[in-house]
Amino acid sequence: MVLNFKMWAGLIQNFNTVILNRSPSFLALAAALVLGAHVHGVQASELPKDSVDSIMWENVAKQFILSDQEGSDKIVMDDRVQVVAPKIAEDQMNIPVHVDARGIENVRKIVVIADLNPLPKVLTYRPEKAAPRLSFRIKVEQGTPIRAAVLDGKGVWHIGATYVDAAGGGCSQPALAHSQNDWVSTLAEVRAKIWRSPAKEFSTLRVTIKHPMDTGLADGIPAFYVEDLVVKTPSGQRLGRLEIHEPVSENPTLTLFPKIKGSVDHVVLSGRDNEGNLIKVSVPAPVQSSHLQK
Amino acid sequence: MDKIRRHLLLGAASSLAMPILPAYAETFQYDLKAVRIAQNSYVVIGKREFFTKENGGDIVNIAFISTSEGVVVIDTGPSQRYGVALKKLIKQTTGKEVVRVYNTHFHPDHCLGNQVFKTQDIAALPKTISGLKVSGDGFSDNLYRLLGDWMLGTELTIPGIPITFSSEKFGEHRFELLPMQGHTDADLAILDHTTGVLYAGDLCFLDRAATTPHADLQKWYEALKSLRKTPHKVIFPGHGPVDSTDRSIDQTDQYLRWLEGQLVASVKNGKDMIEASQMSVPPEFKSIDVIKDEIERSVAHLYPGLEEKLLPFVGQGDG
Repeated sequence: MVLNFKMWAGLIQNFNTVILNRSPSFLALAAALVLGAHVHGVQASELPKDSVDSIMWENVAKQFILSDQEGSDKIVMDDRVQVVAPKIAEDQMNIPVHVDARGIENVRKIVVIADLNPLPKVLTYRPEKAAPRLSFRIKVEQGTPIRAAVLDGKGVWHIGATYVDAAGGGCSQPALAHSQNDWVSTLAEVRAKIWRSPAKEFSTLRVTIKHPMDTGLADGIPAFYVEDLVVKTPSGQRLGRLEIHEPVSENPTLTLFPKIKGSVDHVVLSGRDNEGNLIKVSVPAPVQSSHLQK
Repeated sequence: MDKIRRHLLLGAASSLAMPILPAYAETFQYDLKAVRIAQNSYVVIGKREFFTKENGGDIVNIAFISTSEGVVVIDTGPSQRYGVALKKLIKQTTGKEVVRVYNTHFHPDHCLGNQVFKTQDIAALPKTISGLKVSGDGFSDNLYRLLGDWMLGTELTIPGIPITFSSEKFGEHRFELLPMQGHTDADLAILDHTTGVLYAGDLCFLDRAATTPHADLQKWYEALKSLRKTPHKVIFPGHGPVDSTDRSIDQTDQYLRWLEGQLVASVKNGKDMIEASQMSVPPEFKSIDVIKDEIERSVAHLYPGLEEKLLPFVGQGDG
């Protein structure tokens, strides 16, 4: 494939991610953090006590929350941010997670982090015209806290977290796709459905995309993952926007809750992976009215 | 994890934890009892639980049949220590040597006691053998994590005899070997024609929820149908009590069909895996142990496949 402008733009945009893909740089960065490098002006002592007592909390806060220019340095632990996942992972390659921040007003974005993953950042979701909640599945390298940092309209970070126990190796195992010879032929196949009822403000959109989501940590397999997914109306209004990272499971499967109004009869899903492959599909959004069905 | 590192970790963990270890951990002795269920036929019945550091993985059913040529063993348990205890029990009960060991399928609670028997005496379906070659070490690592020191010394032993024949005779006992699938891609049911005992392996569970990590439900329903048609007096399920009324077939079939129905409805109603796990259990399944935990595990095993089948295709990217 020829490198195009979009790809370079993507690479520059995701500079941070690219650094994290290269393990020596990542290790150096991690080491620097462990040694107490000063990433941001806030001292560790000002951080609220972590609700799940993660040994990485201070580093996670510095690296992924306080360094984010969109927010302030005000962080609160907030049980209105619910992170739901099984206590014990049955399949460390596929741990279901639901984040619900409907208790927080004017949510600008939801940043999901798995503290003890070699690549901790899972995704960032901007529910622009959507309920501030979503479901997805992730892979983990070992038992880890999974946390959501929710940025509100005033720039305050609200943190919710849970802990998942797991057997080792989810991030450094090759995707199952690599054991099938024909995986390229189904790459970026999209299955999706919208459940829409006039009685409800938000619809339910479920989508699953065929993609190996390679982390770059399995031997000899470079990072290859969907990094961007946007939900729009046919006229181009954005309903929600996802920035996706390596820990999201193979064949990313997501549930979002967009607000679909009036005569809009479908939404457009568009996205791309880190090699520049583009996804663009439309998903029908018929109104399912219970009295019409009878 | 390599074995040396595994042992070092366990060693370090046990020396650190020594002062607070409960009594069971100091002994790591399996308390196995043989129950006679038919002429020359004995079973060891496991607890109806999941793997824990308390039960040491003694959660599986084992059988042995004392023939005039020697003892035939069906499945070997979760660990080397279990195998040692089983072998001792067999000797005490029958006074004879083991001449044949069958592994009903490749799950670790049925195969990791293999190493105390002779490789050339252990028989399994060809796909059980290939499955163990691919996944056996991973299974073993996972049991080290779940059971800790109970697993010390356990090494995977691959069966030496692929079963490509349909029956075997030892002394007066003729064993019909019935290759099936559904619980895994190779499930061996064994009918002892002399006693009428049908050893169903994990195709049948009774009052302990069926497990589905490698299940193909449609094939499993077919296997249960053919087990029902196989003439037998008693069924010995892979988990749960001895069954003389076919309840283990009925219950496994009803539970799996109910579970599949719930999962299909959940996908069709737009639920995610976490919501799908929160189903309420109907009263007829109240006798089934660890059902809530197994439902959650089964959602993890089966839901992605159902989503791929049931969510409509809307297009493909330009990959």
